[in-house]
Amino acid sequence: MNTIIEVNDLTKKYRKSEALRGVNLALQPDRIYGLLGRNGAGKTTLMSILTAQGFASSGEVRVFGEHPYENERVLNRICFIRESQKYPDSFTAEHAFRSAALFFANWSQELADRLAADFQLPLRRTIKKLSRGQLSAVGVIIGLASRAEITFFDEPYLGLDAVARQLFYDRLVEDYSRHPRTVVLSSHLIDEVANLLEHVIVIDQGRIIMDDDADTIRGSAFTVVGSADKVWSFLGDREIVHTDNFASLASVTALGPLTENETRAAAELGLELAPVSLQQLIVRKTMSASSAASGVTNRSFSEAAR
Amino acid sequence: MNRVINVMRMQLTNRWVFIGIPLIIVAASFLLTLVIWSLVPEQGRYSGGAQAVMWYFFALGIQSLTLTFPFSQGLSITRRTFFFGTIALFSIIALITSVSYYLLGLLEQATGGWGVNGRFFALEWIAGGPWFHPIAFYFAVMMALFLIGFWAATIYKRWQATGLLSAGISVALVLVGTLYLIGSRQAWGQVGAFLGAQSQLDVAGWLAVLAVVLAGGSFLTLRRTEP
Repeated sequence: MNTIIEVNDLTKKYRKSEALRGVNLALQPDRIYGLLGRNGAGKTTLMSILTAQGFASSGEVRVFGEHPYENERVLNRICFIRESQKYPDSFTAEHAFRSAALFFANWSQELADRLAADFQLPLRRTIKKLSRGQLSAVGVIIGLASRAEITFFDEPYLGLDAVARQLFYDRLVEDYSRHPRTVVLSSHLIDEVANLLEHVIVIDQGRIIMDDDADTIRGSAFTVVGSADKVWSFLGDREIVHTDNFASLASVTALGPLTENETRAAAELGLELAPVSLQQLIVRKTMSASSAASGVTNRSFSEAAR
Repeated sequence: MNRVINVMRMQLTNRWVFIGIPLIIVAASFLLTLVIWSLVPEQGRYSGGAQAVMWYFFALGIQSLTLTFPFSQGLSITRRTFFFGTIALFSIIALITSVSYYLLGLLEQATGGWGVNGRFFALEWIAGGPWFHPIAFYFAVMMALFLIGFWAATIYKRWQATGLLSAGISVALVLVGTLYLIGSRQAWGQVGAFLGAQSQLDVAGWLAVLAVVLAGGSFLTLRRTEP
């Protein structure tokens, strides 16, 4: 397979902290990637470095086989509107779109117009007077209408209401199916974007803790509920991600696919099996990774996982 | 090259900023000057109001970096392209302004100082000599002012307040040091004579050197600036 983004042992150090620690990645063309992780996990830093807006402390980045820094051959094919994107003070959304049209070869004005109508974006109002949601909409529209070969969306939904968010997801899938490209969607609203994603990358405290096909990840864990001793004997020596105890009952999330025999055995033991949502799995993985890193066991897992 | 021109077009997307507002500033300061002239005796009708628009260039230098640079990064424009496009646009606008000032100065002289013996565009020291002297002077002043704003904003963007503060203190130290040197050698008389002997073309030359240094410094600073 041809790799369009390749990252080797990338680190980014700030004066007092490390934003990225030894990141390795390889992204394939024409897929939708989810870059998931908590606030401050390093998502924006990583995307900034991939698009040469930011600088790495060490490590190597290749986009379309070349280093992106000051490289028009690479940058011409990329679009990255950051979550806190700044616009010139005097600009309206219309000015921003007109400017974007100058630089993105595949820019679709038709799509931009349609999206602006969908999001009910006031085109003639200066951007600094827009609400947070409308500001996000400007970024989302530039990202989608640019039809760049690699498009990064950085927490694109901030301030958008549920309807607008759904519109964004729908339009993204629709336009992606007609004009395939590589999309990297950074998000911490995992459940909302789970169905869009073909590949999931989870970053936590600057480390990649998960990098796999979305379907593989979904089938990679399950939850079993029942009386505690039966649950534990059923699980054997499987790797446990999470445990909840209610009196003599236990609800345990474990890794690994289940065979048909195992499913039947569980039923005979009176145990309930349930799939684990992407969000639950990621939340638990992230928490076990951070408690392992800090050496603290956190008892309130289930609350955060909801 | 094409993208450099597109950067100029991007900066001009809102024409108001680069064309409308400067025109209003010139017109307003000129009209106000006319009003003031009607109040003062004929021999005192000089005005430095024409410089108002040049200070606006200083502000534009700051603004075109602090807000337009991050936006240009979002449009995947390289720092080099952004820099050359922005400088090129400013050069063109400064040139147009300089030539207009020269032409308005001619008109001023031809109409006997707008009929009231006033001096606004063709101040004596600036307007003397062949046509390219005043044009070079206006142009160099505007470019230097713009680039001071541009570099200061780049320093701020790259190293925040700490950087700007260090740069400001360094500049102040150099200035105070120069003053001290002149004073301790009791050379004020010579310096005064030297400055008095400079024509507007000489000053334009000094400012041009300054502008080139500022442009180089801005470019090197911008190379590693994050939006």
